[in-house]
Amino acid sequence: MSMKNKTGVASLALLFGLVLAAPSGHAARSSAKPLDATVAEDALQMSRKMTCTLEDGKAIIHWWKGSMMSRVPGERDRVLFNVQGMNIRQCGSVSDPQRGPGYRSVSREVMLYLDPATDQVLRKWKNPWTGQEVDVIHVANDPVNMSRPSYARDEQGKPHQFRGIFVKDKVWTSGEAPLYYDNPMAGSYQDMVGNKYHAMEMLNSFTDAKWLLDRNLKTLPSVSISWARVSEWIPWMKMGGRPGLVVFTTVGKRVATIDDLSEPLRSEIRSTYPTYLAPPPLDDQRPNETSWTYIKKMVDAPRAHAQ
Amino acid sequence: MKMQNRFVPGMLAALAVLLSSQSPLALAAGGGKSKLLDLSIPDELFKVQIKASCSTVSGKATLYWWSGRMYSRVPGEKDRLLFNVHGMNTRRCEIKTDPKKGLCWRSVSREVMFYLDPETNTILREWKNPWTGETVPVLHVANDPVNLQPTSRFICARDEEGKPVVRDGMMVKDDVVLEGGAAARLFYKNPLAGEYQDYVGGMYHAMEFGTTAIPLASARNAAITDFNDSVISWGRISRWIPWMKMGDREGLVIFHTAGMRLDNFAQLPEVVRNEIDLNYPQYREPPPLDDPRPNETSWTVFKKYVDSKRAGDGQRK
Repeated sequence: MSMKNKTGVASLALLFGLVLAAPSGHAARSSAKPLDATVAEDALQMSRKMTCTLEDGKAIIHWWKGSMMSRVPGERDRVLFNVQGMNIRQCGSVSDPQRGPGYRSVSREVMLYLDPATDQVLRKWKNPWTGQEVDVIHVANDPVNMSRPSYARDEQGKPHQFRGIFVKDKVWTSGEAPLYYDNPMAGSYQDMVGNKYHAMEMLNSFTDAKWLLDRNLKTLPSVSISWARVSEWIPWMKMGGRPGLVVFTTVGKRVATIDDLSEPLRSEIRSTYPTYLAPPPLDDQRPNETSWTYIKKMVDAPRAHAQ
Repeated sequence: MKMQNRFVPGMLAALAVLLSSQSPLALAAGGGKSKLLDLSIPDELFKVQIKASCSTVSGKATLYWWSGRMYSRVPGEKDRLLFNVHGMNTRRCEIKTDPKKGLCWRSVSREVMFYLDPETNTILREWKNPWTGETVPVLHVANDPVNLQPTSRFICARDEEGKPVVRDGMMVKDDVVLEGGAAARLFYKNPLAGEYQDYVGGMYHAMEFGTTAIPLASARNAAITDFNDSVISWGRISRWIPWMKMGDREGLVIFHTAGMRLDNFAQLPEVVRNEIDLNYPQYREPPPLDDPRPNETSWTVFKKYVDSKRAGDGQRK
């Protein structure tokens, strides 16, 4: 996966993809024997179970809620928004004669900015630093896909490693994606004058070891997550070059259906983002969307219309 | 690494008390059996917070461990992985029942967090600062104590009138009790800076955030006095750690970790256990319940370290 594909606010799917990666469809050796992390094919199944499910085409939904804060030098951090988000994905099996079984995940994701006092979906926001009222552009990234499948062995033949931590009866994956690349909303000379896209995404996913290791259990019955992110100002805030950062901190879990999402996320998806009720098709070849590419489109459209 | 007196890595139950996520409490659909606790009753949910933070058994020692990484964030460069980190907090709570306020608790604890070489995962003694080129001694986090302050302070289920204190932040969702999504936003006088921080800057400025996930079956089991299966996340954003000697250079550090409640010291990773045995033996036990000492933070510990070193240098002259 190139860096550019791991981007965007709440690119949870890709952070999963970064930390983990796995194939499937490998015939079980012995149906009772637990998965063995030292066997490449098993390790990949473990990664795939943490990412999605061994069942091709089954939709997996991750949900999270929390807050977004500012960090400006010289002042106490401010709570700007509550947030609620979800990622809906599916995985499909592939295989390669050299690299063995593999899989690819495709997903869509939404995250809403909510009034921190009322939890209502925000349409407008008065920026307390500039005094300007701006339109809120919620996160709606379609698609957020693994650009390439993950296989039991990499291109050099090295076996896949499951990077989970087993403690007592639990297992978790914990990872960070430090992102630093050309900002799609900035100019063509960023190596000279700066303004790169600069962010870090952090994700922990926890489940029970017995579920992960059971080779007959295709889908983990319960996964809880924490997702956090540090980045520059979100473009629609219109903070320009002002010093400061935003920090997201959230907690969540896998949920069974869209009905299990919290309000107002559930209703807003049904009314405004109906495409996000299902993941993209397994053969989706579109380039990934990030908040920055999405906001650029939202800014460019009225400009083009004005001309 | 410790912000003032309240929020500790791992002390995630405190989040429910100290932070508000403005989230309505979602409650699990019944379940029915009379032996199971009903978490829609505020007093019962309050006990869950105590069991997640320490134990409803007064004085019982409990242990959290977490591990992860620390990065730099400097404008104009990709974030760098500087250290692996391993931390632990050992804590006990004093539990009492007040006629009006119901169940009440306060906690006392000690905690360490070690900086490890990200390549070899061994405890670092010295570190070559890649920005200044200087090799500096590594001062691990060792805060004794980290107690609820002041010592007379208790957190109670009910207020003076006997009304349940509404605490957002803990929610039942499907088969787990989740906590998190908020942060302790710290901004106060830096013990290492001068007397005019309102004028010239230098304030202590950090954010700590944590999550907890407790299996609902444990949370509703009245027989359980402290959870042994709760998992946690802990993160932190702050200015440079003082021993890095970064001075006024622009930039931040970011910690991101995951961990869980352990049953005993033997369950700690060997590298952590050995370092505690070697250099921090008193951290095997939490402080006594009546510990009257003021809290330590990484900044106050570092100040003592620098001050004693300076005094020693002065005597030698």
